[in-house]
Amino acid sequence: MLTALNNDLKPFEDLITKFSREELKPHVEVRDRYPFGDLDDDVIEAGFRKIYDLGFLGIMLPEKYAGIGQGISAMCMMLGHVAEVDASYSLIIFTSAMSQQVILNADADEIAEKIYPKAKDAKEYLVAFPSFTDPGESKELPTASFSGKDYTLTGKLDYLVLGSFSKWAVIPARVAGRQGYSFFLADLNGKGVTKSDPIFSLGLHACPIIDISLSSVSARIIGEEGKGERYFETASKIMHAAAAAINAGIMRGSLKEAVEYTKEREQGGRPVINWSEVRMLLANMAIKSKAAELCVTQTCKAIDENLKDWGRTSIASTLHVHDLACEVVTDGVQLLGGNGYMKDYGQEKRYRDARQVMALLGLAPLKKLALIKEIAG
Amino acid sequence: MLKRSKVRSYIERFPRFEDESLSLYYAPRMPKAMIRETEEAVALARKFNDEVARPLALELDRKTHENPDYLPAELVKKANEWGFYTMWIPKLFGGKGFNMPSISYFLEEVGSACVGIANVIGVHYLGMAACMMLSNTRIIKKVMSDVVEGEKTGEPCLISYCITEPTAGTDVEEVDLEAKGRLGCHARKVAGGYILNGSKIFISNGHYSTWNVVYAYADLKRGADTKVALMVKRGMKGFSLGTHENKMGQRVCPASVLNFEDCFVPDELVAMDPDIIKSFTKRSPRDVNMQHIDYVFSISRAGVGAFGIGAARGAFEAALKYANETEIDGKPMVTYEWVQCRLAEMYANVRLGRLAYTEANLANQHRGAYNLLQMKPIYYYLRYLPGSYFKKIIAPLLDKPIATWILSKWYIDWQKPKDQHLTTGLASMAKFSCTDFGVRNCQMALELMGKDGLRQDSGAEKIIRDAKLLQIYEGTNQLNRINLFKSIVAPTCPKATFFEE
Ligand SMILES: Cc1cc2nc3c(=O)[nH]c(=O)nc-3n(C[C@H](O)[C@H](O)[C@H](O)COP(=O)(O)OP(=O)(O)OC[C@H]3O[C@@H](n4cnc5c(N)ncnc54)[C@H](O)[C@@H]3O)c2cc1C
Repeated sequence: MLTALNNDLKPFEDLITKFSREELKPHVEVRDRYPFGDLDDDVIEAGFRKIYDLGFLGIMLPEKYAGIGQGISAMCMMLGHVAEVDASYSLIIFTSAMSQQVILNADADEIAEKIYPKAKDAKEYLVAFPSFTDPGESKELPTASFSGKDYTLTGKLDYLVLGSFSKWAVIPARVAGRQGYSFFLADLNGKGVTKSDPIFSLGLHACPIIDISLSSVSARIIGEEGKGERYFETASKIMHAAAAAINAGIMRGSLKEAVEYTKEREQGGRPVINWSEVRMLLANMAIKSKAAELCVTQTCKAIDENLKDWGRTSIASTLHVHDLACEVVTDGVQLLGGNGYMKDYGQEKRYRDARQVMALLGLAPLKKLALIKEIAG
Repeated sequence: MLKRSKVRSYIERFPRFEDESLSLYYAPRMPKAMIRETEEAVALARKFNDEVARPLALELDRKTHENPDYLPAELVKKANEWGFYTMWIPKLFGGKGFNMPSISYFLEEVGSACVGIANVIGVHYLGMAACMMLSNTRIIKKVMSDVVEGEKTGEPCLISYCITEPTAGTDVEEVDLEAKGRLGCHARKVAGGYILNGSKIFISNGHYSTWNVVYAYADLKRGADTKVALMVKRGMKGFSLGTHENKMGQRVCPASVLNFEDCFVPDELVAMDPDIIKSFTKRSPRDVNMQHIDYVFSISRAGVGAFGIGAARGAFEAALKYANETEIDGKPMVTYEWVQCRLAEMYANVRLGRLAYTEANLANQHRGAYNLLQMKPIYYYLRYLPGSYFKKIIAPLLDKPIATWILSKWYIDWQKPKDQHLTTGLASMAKFSCTDFGVRNCQMALELMGKDGLRQDSGAEKIIRDAKLLQIYEGTNQLNRINLFKSIVAPTCPKATFFEE
C-alpha cells in the first residue's frame, strides 16, 4: 500500500521482498531457537551482516552520513516486508533506526559522523538501544557523572536490544543533580561493561537482548544534558509508526498463512475455508489487517507531509494496530488448529512476536494516558 | 399469586428455568462431604504448587527449549508419588475416589502455577473418563488396577485418549463430520480381535502413558457407524511411539505421534464396537458413538475450562504482583484507578469462568456421567466403606458380563437425550468461555507489565504461550460454539441444520 502512495519506493520494495524471501525465509525456524539450539552467534549475526551489506540500515539516515535519506514511508515499507517473514529482523532495523533518530534529534553531528560513515562492519554500524523502554518511565537508569572532561556511567540497564552484538550503544542515564535524563554513547566492549547472557523472551528471538551493568564506563553525551526526554519523544513519535508497520507486516503474514492452510486442509469432506465460520474468522483477520495497513500508510503520509498533529496520529494509530495485531495472530494460530500451535508452522511465532512488538517504546497504557493528556490537557 | 401448575408451565417453557440455573437446584443437593473433599483437593494442589509446580515450572520450560527432545519424566513420577493419578479413580476400582467435580478446582489451582503441569495430571483423567464411559467393567478394572499398582511401585501408569489423526481433528469430535471425514486408523476384525493400522497424532502424555484408549474404524468410508474402541498397551506388538511435537507452550506435556502397524488387539481389550453396541441397545452405533463423545467431552471440557481459569488466574496473579511491586511516577501502580479497573476485570474473568465450569460440573453430576456416583446414598456408601470390602466383594463382580451390561445400560441406554444435550452444551460453553478468559487475561497482564512481562523468568509470557493451546484442543472453540448452539439453542430453531451448509 505504501508503494502505491509513493512510486519511488518500488525498487526498494523489490529488493527487500527478494531479501526476505531468499535470505530470511529459509532460516526462520532455526533462528527462532536462539538463544538455544546449536546455533552459534555467527549464524544469527550473518543475517545482520546481510542487512547491513544491502545498505538497508541507513534508510532514514541523511546522505551526509552516507545514508539513503529516505523518510518514514520507506522505513515502514521495509519493516513490514521483513516482518511478514521474520519480525526479529525488523526489530534489528528498528533498533538501529531508533539510535539514529535519537542521535539526529540531538544534532549530535560529531557522533553520527564518528559512527555511520566510518563503520567497518555491522557490529560498528548497528547501535544498540533499549527499544522496549521509555526511559522517562524507567524505575532504574544508570547514573552519569561528569569528570570535567568526560562522562562515566554507572548502574544497570535492562533489556538492551543488540547489546550482545553491537560495539556502540545509546544509553539513557540520569546526571546527578539534574532533572530528567540524558543520552550517552558508550562502547560496549569498553572497560566496566558487564553483559548478561541473552534473555529468553516471548518473541523476536533472533534479535538478541541482554541486560548490562556499567561500572564507571566512559561515555560521550549525545546532545545536551537533561534533554533526553525531548530527543526520545521526537524520535518515538516517528518510530511508533515503524512499530505499527512491523505488526502490520506480521498480520499480513498471519493472514496469508491462514488462507493458504485453510484452502488445503480438509475437514468434514471439504476444505475448511468452505465452512462459513472459518470464512468469518478469515474475513475479520483481513479487515483488521487492511485497517492496520491503512493506519500505517496514512500515518506515514501525515509524517512525511508534516500534517498537523501527526505525532498524535502516529501514536493513536500504532496503539490501535497493536491491539488488532494481537487479535489477528491469535486467530491465525486458531485457523491452523493443532498445527498452528507447532513450531513447524509460522503462526505460533507470529502469536509471540506481535505481543513483543506491542511492548516497543514503553508501556501501552501509559502511552494512551499521555495521548489523552496531549489532546485534553 | 400463581397456582403451582401455572408456575410449572411457565418455568418449563424455553429457556427451561431449571436447565438455565443448575446451581440453584443442584447445589443444595450436594453431599456435604463433597465440599470437604474438594477443600482437601484444593489444599493438596496448593501444597503441590508450593513444593513442586512453582519451583519447577519455569525451569522445565527452559530445559525443554534448550533441548526439545527432553521429556521431564521426573515430573510424572512426582505427581505419581503425590497420588494424583489415582485420586479420582472411584474406590470401586481401587482409587481414592475423590468426587469428580473436585478435579476442576484442583486443576485450576495447579494450572494457576503451570498449565502444562496441570495437563500432565489432568489429561490422564481424560483417558480414564474415556475408558469408564466405554462401560466395560472388566477392562476398567484391569486398567485402573494397573494405575493403582503404578502408584505403589513408583512406576507411573498413565492413560492417554487417542482420537486425533493426521487428516482428522475436528472430524473425530462430531459424528456428522466423522461420516464425511478422511479417516486413517483402520481396525480389521479377525478371529479373536482386531488388527489395527494407522496413526494418531497430538496425543497428550503419549510418551508417558502405559494405556491408550484408541479409536479406529472398521470401514474408513463409514467411520461414524463403524467405530471401534481399543485398549492398547505400551509394548504391544505393532505399536510404536513416533516423535513428540515442538510446541509453543505446555512443553512439559508431550503431544505424541502413535503408530500402529498390524497391531493385534485381542477381544478382551476391545471396549466397544458395533456388535457390542448391538448387544445391549437398539440405538444405532452412530448415536451411541455421539453419546460417547459427548460423555467424554462433557467431563473433559469442564476440566479444560478449569485449565483456562488456571491460566486466567496465573496471569491475574502475575499482574497483581507486578502492580504491587512497581511504581509509576513515584506511586505504586495499584494506587491508579486504571490499574485497579484492569485488575478487577481480570479477577472477574476468573470468577465468571469458575461459575461456567461449575455449571458444567453440576450438569454432569445430575444429568450426566457423574449422576450414578453422586447420588447421596451411593456417594456415602462408596466413601465410607473400607477398601477391603470393594476388593473382596465388589471387584470379582466387575469381571462378570452382567456388570458391563448394567453399566452400559445405565450410561448409554438410560440417559435422556435432553440431558445429553444439556451436559454437552454446558461443557462446551465452559470450555470456550474459560479458555477465552484465559487468553484475555494473559493479554491484559502483558499490557500491564510491558517489557517486564516479556522475559521468560517473569512467568507471564509462558502463560500466554500455554493458554493458547486451550482454545484448540478438546475441540476448537469454534466447534464448541457450534456444539453449544446445536445442543441447547437449536431446539428453538426448527430450521437449523448442522455441518450441512
Ligand atoms: C498440544 C495438543 C494436544 C492434544 N492432545 C490430544 C489428545 O490427547 N488426544 C487427542 O485425541 N487429540 C489431542 N489433540 C488434538 C486436538 O483435539 C485437535 O488439534 C483439535 O481437535 C483440532 O483439530 P485439528 O488440529 O485437526 O484442526 P482442524 O480440525 O484441521 O481445524 C482447523 C481449523 O478449521 C476449523 N474447522 C474445522 N472444521 C470446522 C467446521 N466444521 N466448522 C467450523 N470450523 C471448522 C477449526 O476450528 C480450526 O480453526 C491435541 C492437540 C494439541 C495441539
